[in-house]
Amino acid sequence: MLARSAENLFWVARYIERADFSARMIDAALRLATLPKAYGGDGNEWVSPLAAVGNLDLFRKVHDKQDQNTVFNFLAFDRENPSSIRNCIANARRAARAVRTALTLEMWESINAAWLELSRIESERDPKNPMSREEVDRFLDFVKAISRDFDGAAYRTMLRDDAYWFNRIGLYAERADNTARILDVKYHLLLPQSEEIGGTLDYFQWTAILRSVSALTAYHWVYRESVKPWLVMDLLVQRSEMPRSLVSCYENIARYLDLIGQHYGQQGPSQRLARSVHATLVNSSREEIFQRGLHEFVTDFISSNNRLSGMLAEQYFPS
Amino acid sequence: MRIAVRHETRYVYTTPPKSLIQILRMTPRSHEGQHILSWRIDCDADCHLKKSEDPFGNITHTLTVNRPLETLTLTVEGDVETYDTAGVVRNSVERFDPLVFLRETPLSAPSPLIRELAAANERADTIDQMHQLMVAIRGRMTFDTSSTDVHTSAGEAWELGSGVCQDYAHIFIAAARCSDVPARFVSGHFFRSDGVVDQTAGHAWAEAYIDKLGWVGFDPANGVCLLENHIRIACGLDYLYAAPVRGARMAGSGESMSVNVSVGQTSMQMQT
Repeated sequence: MLARSAENLFWVARYIERADFSARMIDAALRLATLPKAYGGDGNEWVSPLAAVGNLDLFRKVHDKQDQNTVFNFLAFDRENPSSIRNCIANARRAARAVRTALTLEMWESINAAWLELSRIESERDPKNPMSREEVDRFLDFVKAISRDFDGAAYRTMLRDDAYWFNRIGLYAERADNTARILDVKYHLLLPQSEEIGGTLDYFQWTAILRSVSALTAYHWVYRESVKPWLVMDLLVQRSEMPRSLVSCYENIARYLDLIGQHYGQQGPSQRLARSVHATLVNSSREEIFQRGLHEFVTDFISSNNRLSGMLAEQYFPS
Repeated sequence: MRIAVRHETRYVYTTPPKSLIQILRMTPRSHEGQHILSWRIDCDADCHLKKSEDPFGNITHTLTVNRPLETLTLTVEGDVETYDTAGVVRNSVERFDPLVFLRETPLSAPSPLIRELAAANERADTIDQMHQLMVAIRGRMTFDTSSTDVHTSAGEAWELGSGVCQDYAHIFIAAARCSDVPARFVSGHFFRSDGVVDQTAGHAWAEAYIDKLGWVGFDPANGVCLLENHIRIACGLDYLYAAPVRGARMAGSGESMSVNVSVGQTSMQMQT
């Protein structure tokens, strides 16, 4: 396979996953914004989705107030924002076109249909006039459906060869990054210093976030008790049965990289790094993570995950 | 190095036991220097196989069979990718403080002669000392599969001057602990560089805790530190804590057991 094709396959999945995550973070912010002020939130719920998708700085350069409409437009439609949902879908479609023959018809159609629908919504929308809550919900559901459609098409129709593996690695690398950011933003931004971990506000925030990443029911199935922050950590970091957990993402990344290594009869730094990250996640105990500090743990993880993308680029997508 | 392991244990009974229970410590974990690509345990009879973890963090499977059977074959198969880490085991599951591994056990209790061995090899630098100890043990012991059995203690084996890898490891552990160096027993597999694939047993070696480095593997039977040839499966205070199989059966007699291990290299791969 051409290095360029591998790279495009990787990025198609990554962009789609990113669009899905942005939609879910907007959803989380909408839920957080409806929490009564009496619980002690300090009203920065509209900063949190920006921080979670990693473009708070860019936003602050352009806008000076963070209200629902500005943030929503910035995250959903802004062409200046490289990871707005609109740009993610556009980039995914561009990458998909470049590897059109490596994708199945269903995969291509899911992306193309998503792009056409998005363009229609964009052209009919009046930026001055905020979307109603129902319109926003409908839009977010539409974005979440794109990733389901695309993923399902890939899972059901693609040949299990290197094209599929690169595609999946893109998805899981992005997903791991997203989960790590949720954890970080939750304690570094959302929860005011004066609030205790495990307190009322912490509880409501976690419930809202878990629900928006479709993990609340999973949480109750696994733990059978009320939402406790340390158990949420466990769920999102170390539970291999939770598809969004860091461990689960790295299990998949390591596996697909193994398959690629076997297929090409050659392996290198990215395989080694993925395995080492996976082993660290599996083997460290919850106490160790808390002792080191959650923020340090998450920051380390995010930087390893970025390093993995860099190594993949060096090893498989040299230009 | 990519190593393929197949470990077959076959039991034959002249009078079938009514039921049987075994704890298997046959499943390795991934850590730095070792990555498990695939691993599975297969049993040829209808049985319950329940996975859990022992206090040391080793993966255990409890095998129970509740009906009479004349033969039982357990097959463990897997592929493991290993790298050289200069003997150091990093990123492994550690459930206890290293000081726990100063604890004596009947199998690893030091005899007066082992105390002498430890005293004779004292060095200022712990890592030097452990190397010296490994060389000294290997220098005196002869490898002999008939002179000792699973109940032989470190002291007895050292006095006999012969034994198998497990005795070498016990002597090493006992001597290291005499010098206040935490040490533990490790069971696993060893890929032989001389091309011999079929073996009649698994392998065993020891790990010593060195300040600043962490756990370092010493294989006194081969006179080397942990290499890419080693697959690390379980660890504990002595053999009994890390044995591949421990079990009990109800009634039945005439048990004979045969073990077949093959540790070979799978298709060559280029490392970049």
